[in-house]
Amino acid sequence: MTSLLPVATIIFAMLLSIEPVHIPGYAAVTPAFTLMAAYHWAIYRPALLSPLMLFVIGTLQDLLTGALAGVTALLLLLTYAIVLTHRRRFVNRPFPFIWGGFTLLVCGAMLFLWSLHSLLAAELIDFRSSIFRAVLTISGFPIASFLLGRTQRALMDAG
Amino acid sequence: MDAAAPILEMLSRPLSLLDSALSKGSDFLAAYRENARLEKENARLLDWQQAALGLASENAQLRELLKLAPEPAGSYVTARVIANSGGTYVRSIVVNAGRENGVKRGQAAITGDGLIGRVTEVGDRAARVLLITDLNSRVPVTVEGSRLRAVLAGDNSEHPSLHYAEEGSALRIGDRIVTLGQGGVFPPGLPVGIVAGFYGELARVEPYAELSRVDYLRLVDYGLSGALPNPPSGAPRNGKRSDQALGQPIHR
Repeated sequence: MTSLLPVATIIFAMLLSIEPVHIPGYAAVTPAFTLMAAYHWAIYRPALLSPLMLFVIGTLQDLLTGALAGVTALLLLLTYAIVLTHRRRFVNRPFPFIWGGFTLLVCGAMLFLWSLHSLLAAELIDFRSSIFRAVLTISGFPIASFLLGRTQRALMDAG
Repeated sequence: MDAAAPILEMLSRPLSLLDSALSKGSDFLAAYRENARLEKENARLLDWQQAALGLASENAQLRELLKLAPEPAGSYVTARVIANSGGTYVRSIVVNAGRENGVKRGQAAITGDGLIGRVTEVGDRAARVLLITDLNSRVPVTVEGSRLRAVLAGDNSEHPSLHYAEEGSALRIGDRIVTLGQGGVFPPGLPVGIVAGFYGELARVEPYAELSRVDYLRLVDYGLSGALPNPPSGAPRNGKRSDQALGQPIHR
């Protein structure tokens, strides 16, 4: 049962990111919760994530938010692939190192999203909300990682 | 969208409960000041009411004289917002009413304050509303009381801009922007917002409705959906719409 935990938390992260929160402008800068969870689990429990699940969850999030279908799925899968191919650099490293990796990843992801949407809209979209979103996502990662780590220890390592 | 609707709805409840508990606390503190302000405002509004009643009866008499054909009354469905768009590049919301409630593509989404968007996708129990601030939103509008025409174009910012206004048009800050009613999507005269400022040559419009704080909205069917092409795949199903009774006529 506990092997479902990574997938369950990513699904929860997806639901969290489409919740209507009544803060002006929040919808545009909602942190990429799914990316945080996917990155965390790809480092600490990659065996419990399957690319298929990431694809399904990402696509579902795109369909529910009305975003470009497939973009989130692509980002989640790329995250998974990048972390897995560089896994030995991540294992048993101190947290700031992992956080730094996440920062690079988020910056790349936001730049990718911004250029993709600008290309599709055939104009340069205001990039400020992308920057805010990146900052919120990066600064939210330690909290998310802490909570995910606690859940992991409480449910998986004990059981 | 349909399958996720109940989950989204369930999840949005505790959050809105917390939200309302917090706002109740601060409301209580502000109640005294609010009361004084409201009394003043009430006195002013009573004056306006008198003026409006006078104008309404005069209007009715003049219409009678002119034999003006009455505008069709709309029917509406009230729905709750159950999901925000989580994306940076899309401004849309999902509401908990769909085909079963008589929602159709192209219907106007309004709050008590004004227009907020239009229905772009309809499921059986949920529908997606594209907000007027979205990059892809274009609404034909006019300045109230004038013949000026323009297109209100969203650009994902909080303030959509007015494009294609006629040359030499005298747009001023504070002008009331309402729908034009051309194109057969929105009826004429729905309040949209006011001109809030200028950005280069384009006027920026502040929507009347607070788009990020919408809890409930009305999806209004004016019997118009002329300009919207059907989605490429799957023609809309008409078989399941038996509960027209949910939409009630608006009394004007």
